[in-house]
Amino acid sequence: MSAPQNSRETASSLLFLSPFLILFSVFLLFPILYSLYLSFYDSSQGFGLTNLRWVGLSNYIQILGIHWEGGAWKFNDPAFWWSLAVTFLYGGLSIPLGIAAALFLALLLNNKLYGKNFFRSAFFLPNILDMLVVGVIWTLIYAPKYGALAQISSAILGPEQFFNKVGPLASPYTALPAIVFAMVLKGAGFGMVLFLAALQNIPEAVYEAADIDGATKSQQFWYITLPLLQPIIFFMVITGIIGSLNAFTEIYAMTAGGPQIVIGDETLGSTSVAGYYLYKQFEGGRFGYAAAISYVLLAITLGITWIQQRFFAGDKR
Amino acid sequence: MNTHTDQADPRTPAAQGGSPLRVVIFVTLFVAMIALCVGICGQLYRFLTMVAAAFAARGGDPAKAGEVMKNMAWMVDALTAATALALASIAIRRWIATHVEQRAAFLRTFFLYLCLTAGVVVVLFPFFWMLCTSFKPAGTELLINTSNPFDIVPAEPTIGNFTKVLKLDAAGAAASVDPVEAKKNFGTYFMNSLVVASLAAFLVTLFASMGGYVFAKKELPYKPQLFGVLMATMMIPGMMYMVPQFFMVCSMGLFGTKLAMILPHLASVFGIFMLKQFMETIPSSLIEAARIDGASEWQIFRVVIIPLAMPIILTLFLLTFLSHWSNFLWQLIVTDFENPLSITLPVGLALFRGQYTSDLGLIMSASCFSIVPIVILFLFAQRYFIEGMTQGAVKE
Repeated sequence: MSAPQNSRETASSLLFLSPFLILFSVFLLFPILYSLYLSFYDSSQGFGLTNLRWVGLSNYIQILGIHWEGGAWKFNDPAFWWSLAVTFLYGGLSIPLGIAAALFLALLLNNKLYGKNFFRSAFFLPNILDMLVVGVIWTLIYAPKYGALAQISSAILGPEQFFNKVGPLASPYTALPAIVFAMVLKGAGFGMVLFLAALQNIPEAVYEAADIDGATKSQQFWYITLPLLQPIIFFMVITGIIGSLNAFTEIYAMTAGGPQIVIGDETLGSTSVAGYYLYKQFEGGRFGYAAAISYVLLAITLGITWIQQRFFAGDKR
Repeated sequence: MNTHTDQADPRTPAAQGGSPLRVVIFVTLFVAMIALCVGICGQLYRFLTMVAAAFAARGGDPAKAGEVMKNMAWMVDALTAATALALASIAIRRWIATHVEQRAAFLRTFFLYLCLTAGVVVVLFPFFWMLCTSFKPAGTELLINTSNPFDIVPAEPTIGNFTKVLKLDAAGAAASVDPVEAKKNFGTYFMNSLVVASLAAFLVTLFASMGGYVFAKKELPYKPQLFGVLMATMMIPGMMYMVPQFFMVCSMGLFGTKLAMILPHLASVFGIFMLKQFMETIPSSLIEAARIDGASEWQIFRVVIIPLAMPIILTLFLLTFLSHWSNFLWQLIVTDFENPLSITLPVGLALFRGQYTSDLGLIMSASCFSIVPIVILFLFAQRYFIEGMTQGAVKE
């Protein structure tokens, strides 16, 4: 290609790319820097660009720091550390359960069946439905006295029991697992389709060979199926971690961060995950603080990703 | 010969076990199947008559609708019995027709079907419950059918919840004196969501196809590096953007507008990735041929690329539509609650739930506006949804 032609090609490429590139730079690249800028400011005088006050690193010190009080070291912001712990608990429950449920469904469906597509679609359907609405529906299912769970359990166990009197979402010990259960049911179909596609790619000959060698069904599962599904599991773990760090709507819809639990001398929300805590800061007008928290969360995400890349880089080759 | 295969095949140890055991298992599964069938079909048929009765009853009178349902009850029972009988005869005939050696496998498949059906019931139950509750008149959500606690279809249905949510009832007419209050109904929210989601999906798809075409087929200095930057931003959690994007939208004076809801999300890196992957499979010779014929770059894009990439473009459109249909957090942040024209479905539902905390019928009928259209869309385009959402993962 001659030089003028080349530059024409470049120009037309840029023209095609420009709408995307402008929007990308303005709304995806610039905010990352802008957020860093905001994280050094305090906005407690009310909303507005003119009300920002430079505070240097003090937002970060408030989030991450500790101080000496009453003969012990204490976190400056225990609610933030607590929200991180809740986030990891949320991920730690929902990721393995989600993978197990998806894998179970995929193994059931990986057979010669009539109506396979019907089952596949039925399990997948809740995935695409609005998270807030699904959360609201589950809140009402879990609700004591009038919820579906309360009514059905009352008919079997009588009215004097946990589901009818308290409800899973009102107890700090069951609220998070109850949310996890609802979300696993909503999301299982997605992983199921991934697993199913991978399962159907495993050649039948592999299992036949294992049969001849006398491997039992469970040996075949642990030593053939599971290792071949590892990329999918890996993918689901990564998306699960990002999903837990971004979790907000399900918490907002189902518990609004509650119910409260007292640990030490702090009152903390038993389902207040990091995303929800960030939103609460934002809602309270502490924009600079919220920006600083989001930077800390970004650092955590990148850290986890880096560890996984290192961990799995040798594995893939 | 038979005994020989039995011994050689260790996978069917049941084949050596006594036949009576297998009969017992078959009978157990058979009974479970009938119970499941009667439960599911009974509820589904009852639900259909309930909807018909609720709409047929003039003035939305629950008692009249209840009458109609009672009159149609024999039909429900007959249909349920017919379905159960049909399934029973299929199961028994298959059982008899199956060779003794194959019966263990038969039982396994039978069990599999029952598990899958039970799974579907568990997964879809919340949505069925939503539909049923949305037809329950106020104050009767607490009533349960004492003879059968699993019967969740209302005995005396009404469409009153829907008219109230749309402000078409008497109270809604009273509110229409104040035009802003009258507009705060789920009809408005639905239209807002529809406009926001369609517009966003259209623009995202357009810009992503143009960009994807460049990355797949055209030359540009530093193209791989640029693509690397795009991919890197996919790792950034969405929460990160909440604060800066809000400040930007506000300083542009867009707070409370539909534009504020879509503008920050028009650059879809995922869309670029998806379309690039697909467009790379389009043979370059087609583009060369068009170029030799004197087609301009834009004509090549419109006449050659777009038609060939249509399936994937449609998929991206649907997925983007979906993500904006349920993008609650961002829409909540930029919504001006005084202006009903900026309230979308999820935000409207959150607002509504704050007002009618325990009025289940109303909340559920409001939820239907978000769920039912998507379910219908899914029924027609499930292939696009399922493949679109999962293919990015598999290709990695």
